Order: sequence, then C-alpha cells, then structure tokens
Amino acid sequence: MKVASTPNERGNVLLCAICTIFIISLIAANVLLNCTARYNQASNQVRSWNEALYAAESGADMAFAEIRKTLPGASPSPSPWTGWAPSGTTYVSPVTGTASLPWTFGSDNLQARTVVETCYFDSSGVFHLGANPTGAWPWYRIRSKGTSPLQGLKRTGMDDRLSNGNRFVANGSTRGDGDTLLRKIDFNYDHFIATYGPNGDGTGKALQAVNAPQIARRIELIVGAVTPFGAAVEVTTSFDGPGSAGLIDSFNSNNGAYYFAANNPSDPHYADSHSGSVAVNSPTFFMHQGPIWGDVSTNGGNVLPSNLIHGVIDNSVPLDIKPFDMPSLPMPQPSPVAFNSNTTITPASPGSVSAPTTYQVSSWSKSVTFNQSGSAQTYVAVHVTSDFTGQVTVNTGVHVQVYFDGNMSVKARDLVNNTNLAANMQFYGIKPTDPNTTQTIAIASPGNFVGTFYAPSAAISFTGNPDITGSIVGKSYSGNGNTSLHYDRALDNIGEPVDYRVASYVEDIR
Amino acid sequence: MKLRHHSHQSGFTLAEIMMAMAIAVVIFAAIITASLAMQKSFNAVDHYFATHVQQVRIIDYLNRDVKRALICTTSADHQTVTLTIPKYIIQSGDAEAVSNPSLVGAMRSPTLSTTTSLVNYGTTTSTVVYSINGASILRTEDGLVTTIASSTDQLIPTDADTELINTEYSTMAVTFHPIFTSGNVADERTGTTVFSLAYLRNKRRG
Repeated sequence: MKVASTPNERGNVLLCAICTIFIISLIAANVLLNCTARYNQASNQVRSWNEALYAAESGADMAFAEIRKTLPGASPSPSPWTGWAPSGTTYVSPVTGTASLPWTFGSDNLQARTVVETCYFDSSGVFHLGANPTGAWPWYRIRSKGTSPLQGLKRTGMDDRLSNGNRFVANGSTRGDGDTLLRKIDFNYDHFIATYGPNGDGTGKALQAVNAPQIARRIELIVGAVTPFGAAVEVTTSFDGPGSAGLIDSFNSNNGAYYFAANNPSDPHYADSHSGSVAVNSPTFFMHQGPIWGDVSTNGGNVLPSNLIHGVIDNSVPLDIKPFDMPSLPMPQPSPVAFNSNTTITPASPGSVSAPTTYQVSSWSKSVTFNQSGSAQTYVAVHVTSDFTGQVTVNTGVHVQVYFDGNMSVKARDLVNNTNLAANMQFYGIKPTDPNTTQTIAIASPGNFVGTFYAPSAAISFTGNPDITGSIVGKSYSGNGNTSLHYDRALDNIGEPVDYRVASYVEDIR
Repeated sequence: MKLRHHSHQSGFTLAEIMMAMAIAVVIFAAIITASLAMQKSFNAVDHYFATHVQQVRIIDYLNRDVKRALICTTSADHQTVTLTIPKYIIQSGDAEAVSNPSLVGAMRSPTLSTTTSLVNYGTTTSTVVYSINGASILRTEDGLVTTIASSTDQLIPTDADTELINTEYSTMAVTFHPIFTSGNVADERTGTTVFSLAYLRNKRRG
C-alpha cells in the first residue's frame, strides 16, 4: 500500500484565524449596531422633535406678521392675509404654493400649517369666535402645527436598556416608555388624528397614514392688542425722577380708588400696587430719592438694584414707540371752532368709542366743560390744531380724548377729571411736521391730575408736587420734584392699539 | 510488499511542542484580553450613550415645560424646578370633567380675567416639579410622578432661572459621571455637560 504525501497541513491555523476574526467582528458589529441606534435616537429623533416646534413657531410668527399688518395706520404691501385662504373671519395658511400644500422650508423640509381665527372676549371674559359685535379691537387665536420629517432609521429608541433594564412606567395612560412618552413619532400613522381628530377636539378621528416617519408639534397662541398705556412711564430718550417726596406705584381703578398699599403684603390691593413700571428706550435713566414700585427697563442702561426699585431691573429691553399720527375721526361739529372763551359742551348725541362726537378747534386757551348727553355714557374727541393752554373739566359719564398739534403748558389744577378715572381724560400729542422738533408738555403745581398722556414726540415735565393718576408715554419724562405718579392698571385695555402681543402660549403635548 | 520510505514524515520533538504551546497560550491570552477589553469598552460606550440620551431627554422635558410655563422657580440648590403651566387640556378630576366626563382630553377655550386682563385656561393651573430622587430624575405633574431618567452614572441636572421684565429664562445643565474615568472625576463630569437655555413664551406671572 502506498500512502500519499500531504506536505502542507495548515488548515487548523486558517480556521483559528477565521474564528478569531469572526468573534472580534461580532463584538465590533454589536458595538456598531448599538452606537447606530443610539445615534439615531440621540441625533435624528431629538433634532426632528425640536425642529417640529421651530416649524410650528415659524408658522405662528408668519401669522403674527399678518395680524400686525391690520394695525391702524399700517399700509402694508401686500395687504394683510394675501395668499391665505379666508373663510369668514378665519384665515388658513399657506401664503405660497398651492392651497393643498403647507409651507415647506429649511434644509430638512419642515412644514407649517397655521389657522388664524378672529375672536373676542365678552364683558365676562368668555371666549367667542368671530368679530366682536361691540366693534372693539379683535383678538386672534393662532393654531400652528409644525411637522418635521424623521431622518435616519425607522426605529424606536432603546429605552428598555436604560436604567439597567428597568422600563419606565409613566402612568396608566402612557403610550410608551421613556423617549416615546416625550417625542411622539408617527412611523406609519398620524397618532394625533387617530386619537383626537385633526383639530384635536375629538371629531373626525381617522387612521391616516403618513408618507414617511415624522414628528408633529402643535401650539396655540392668543394674540391681543397692545394699548398705549401699558406702564406708568414709557419714554424713548430719558427718564428723570421721582423726587425724594415722590413715588411711582400703581393701583387698579376697577377695584376701587387709589391708596398706597405697596408696602403692605396683606392689603387686598397689594397685588395691584407693584405695576408702576418705567421703560426707557435708551441708557439715560436718572433715579432720585423717590421709590419706584414696579419694574425698570432701559435699552443699554446701567440701572443697578437698590432699595428704591421694588421690581425687576432689565437693562437690555428695546422699546418701540412710533410717532403718533392724527387718527381719522368722524366729521367735526360745525361749531365751536375755537375755545377762546369759557365754554360748556353738552353733545346732542352720546357717540361711541369708535365714533365719538368730534370737535376741531384752532385754539384752546379758556375753560371748557364737557357734560354728559342725557344719561348715556358720552364720548367726545377734540382736535386742537395749535397749543393747549386752557382748562378742561370732564364731568361724570363723559370720556374725552384731546388731540393737539402744538405744545401744552398748564397747571395740574387746570385739568379737572370729575370721573376720577384716568381713561376718561386722554391727551394725545400729534407728531410735529418737522421730525427734528420736540413737542413740550409742561405741567406745574398746584393741583393734581387724573388722566393720560400719549405723546411720543414730546418732552413731558412735571414741576412742583402734582399727584398724577394715569400713565405717561412720551419722548422724555422729567418729574424730579415731588411729583407722584400712580399708574392705573385699568388702562391696560384702553386706547387704540399700537401693536399686537402674544397674550398666551400653550403647546398641545398630546 | 515493500513499503516506500517517506523521508519527510517526521514528528515534533518535545521542545517544538512546548514552544508551539507557549506561543498558542500567548496568542489566546492576547485574544481573550483583547475581547475582554473590547467588551469593557463597549460597555462603557454603551453606558455613555445611554446616559447621554437621558441627558437630552431631561433637557427636552424641561425645555418643553419652561416654554409653555407661566412661572419658573428654581430651588436654592438648583436641583428642583417648579413650573406653573396652563391647563390646556381638561383632565380627569377637573370641574368640567366631573360634570361631563366626556370632556376629559378636550381642549379648553381661553378666558380673559376681568381684573388682571390675563388670558387663562381654566380656573386653576398645573404644577410641574422636576426633582432628584436617588438615581432617578422625577417629573411630578399635579401629584402624578413620571421617572424621566434613571442612571447609576450619577446624573445631576442643575437649573437656574433669571427674571426679566416680561419673561424669564431658565438655564439648564445636565452632567454625569462616566463609568470609565482617568482619575480626575471633576473633569470627567464637566466633559459630559449638556447645556440648554429656554425662555418663557408667556408673560412671566411670578
């Protein structure tokens, strides 16, 4: 018998090498697999979840921009709601593309779908959709949905591996664990429409497939008008005051007459007493020895905490107060055309907030008394085309707005408001024709004054010790004598809107 | 029959076998050591990622709630955050739900306070508290506790809120102590910091 020769018996070495490589590859693959899943979760899902909110807020921002176009005096081009789909007092995005497609933007193809509904609150504060039947300025409800496509692998997270294998049990109604409780990903179907309906109100529930995995987030904003008198003092260039015997505080005339309650936390009106805020759109803020019971903001100033400021200090708040143009008013009454002698005005009809009885006079140098028309609340507007140097008396039941083109120089006792409500005697300084000209409003002792000033182009000064109840908006404020100013929080809803603000922000986290 | 002589068929000497075994032992020892090291490294990386995911989750939870809050208050040790949040959704036990259980889960319409001019959802608000309990980070909403993160890596969230005129912002940082360190624990923890800042979207109410 002949035995064949086997000169190269090396198979076991090759096998060992292959096995070793295989084992190491298995470990490496396991590491890679887990890292990929973690990356998928920590990067893509987190990013998409955050971007969905950015998309929703972008949609709300675009809606807010349209709402601001409706402000009095605004003449935007294109006009408000151009490109939106209106339905009565409701407006639906988009402004671009076709009606069936939402806004798409960003490198990740984010989408936003926004619905703006005109609404109002009645006198009891109850919410209603539609235009306010009283003709008051509307509120808006913005509902915006942002959607972000989910990049990467179609996987849930690895929550079960967290906490040493202990799964998180949130509560009885949980839809998942850990991350899935927070970031609700629609892999195959839109969970929101299936569970709550497209509008979230429980109607129209349907199993609606999604084209690709996505994350959607929904927000709701309530937008209301910003009225001129939101603080005790708002000025653009400088603030100087209050003096050692003066102060700035607040109260709410809806809750009763003013008395000092700012240093008594147990007082029922204490909560209303700390809104005597001062806002300056410049660094120039001179503080004397009188306390400010409210917040102080400047734009680039260096106001430091002190025992005289009983509120928040913020030195980086820009304040935008636009010069005031003469608003359009109803046709003026044929007479009088000047208040050069003492006059009593009793309008023939009471008028309304939006259509007051209007007078246009070339001068106002004498005393004018406004009486109620019958027993109805009476609304009067006067346009003075020159300086105001006279006196005014506003009697009970009368609401007077005085618009003046020139300057004002009076004593506080010349401005008599027998309603004791600041909202019922409002002075508006119309911007000068020459933008380099500064109006002047000078109020001197003796006497006190209950009313408001809105004169963004005016240097407003108080000398002596007048006690002012109301609100001051101007170019500059000087009250460095013993002037006290009591801001009336009821003014927060008074006057024509100068802007809109987001009054409420909620997210529907379902 | 005559057998042919195979001149190359020779056995190993004892010395050769001993040498081969020694080499094999070294090789296998290296393989096993490498495998263990890789397993340990994998475990550390896995832990790191897992804890990082939880860091981000804590930040995201806090961000979401701070943005929709009315008031944000941080404790003196910066480790407990209390948020007041509008009650947008009608929940079981709410007044509306008691009289009409079908309203549970429905959205509320806002109301306008005639005294404060503030927009509200319902007559009450939800209170959300973020706190630490042992190795767990808890989110408690109106008494309902959710464990949003839990780790043996000593996760520590810290939060501070700064009040501004109309709003406030909350700064958050979450760190943990990785299971593999090179000795300087403080530096190792600092290196894991995840930081975030969120503003209240609502006007600050407190």
